[in-house]
Amino acid sequence: MRQPLSRPSRPRTLVHPGAFNPVRIHSRHADHGAHYRLLLQPGLSLYDALIGPLAAAGVKSASTTILGGFFDTLSYCCAAPDGSGQAVAAYSAPIPAGRSYLVFGNATLGKNQHGKPIVHCHASIRTEDGQTRGGHILCDMSIVGPTPIPVLVTALHGFELRVSHDPETNIPLLQPHEEHPDE
Amino acid sequence: MSNAIATVVENGRMGRVAYARIAPNEDLVTGVEKLCLAEGFRNAFVRGALGSLVDGCLGTLDGQCVEIKGPAIEVVSLAGEVRSTADGSLSAALTGVVADTQGNVYGGPFIAGANPICMTFEVTLEEWLPEG
Repeated sequence: MRQPLSRPSRPRTLVHPGAFNPVRIHSRHADHGAHYRLLLQPGLSLYDALIGPLAAAGVKSASTTILGGFFDTLSYCCAAPDGSGQAVAAYSAPIPAGRSYLVFGNATLGKNQHGKPIVHCHASIRTEDGQTRGGHILCDMSIVGPTPIPVLVTALHGFELRVSHDPETNIPLLQPHEEHPDE
Repeated sequence: MSNAIATVVENGRMGRVAYARIAPNEDLVTGVEKLCLAEGFRNAFVRGALGSLVDGCLGTLDGQCVEIKGPAIEVVSLAGEVRSTADGSLSAALTGVVADTQGNVYGGPFIAGANPICMTFEVTLEEWLPEG
């Protein structure tokens, strides 16, 4: 149990390895959102259960809310200071959570540098040993359990989310870009 | 009369949808407000959000707060809204769950000005257009 403070500490300003980008908010908008209800299918990885049906529906970039459900197996990782000094923080080794319940999560769907679909998912979970934990979900190592899991999808049209190297943080990051409809 | 009802049940519809990547060292709460300025939204709901914080700061009872030391603190659940206030300013109210460097979780409202972004923050807002 943490001792509450009467007022917050002063926020820390971290120094990243690359040059400071004076643009701090990179945003794009669509005139309206297109919504879908998706059911993640049993036995598929979280990656395949999200990517496959949405690709078939023509959705390549989206924000999704995973509304809770069981996984036959789930792995996640945390973010900690990067010992190599290449970046301010880096992901830990995979942590197996076993048969888990995903309490609530958000997953962003986009493309990697080569145009292949990627999913970036953070969620709170209850692990096989009963602990509530949270972190970055390893989507290809997490298998949807026996009951389909509902997902609210807000599809983004008119622009796309694509991973590109971010010089300031020195890591690849999803960012909104102009659409490349040929892919 | 109608105003009193409107404060409880507000009729409206969804408008535009915006996605942003907010850069390191920007504050999560005021960053979401500035995203609304950038996109011209006056009221919005969060439709999706994930990313990391340098340190996390969540409100507790009696106006106090708990701090969770990073870096990095992962935001693992987030919901909230941005509202246009009586004085014309924008105010985001964001609530959620964060995970520390060991995966331990903490929940509560994010305190404005005390949740600096660590690596990146991805947020999708859907514009809310109240009627009347």
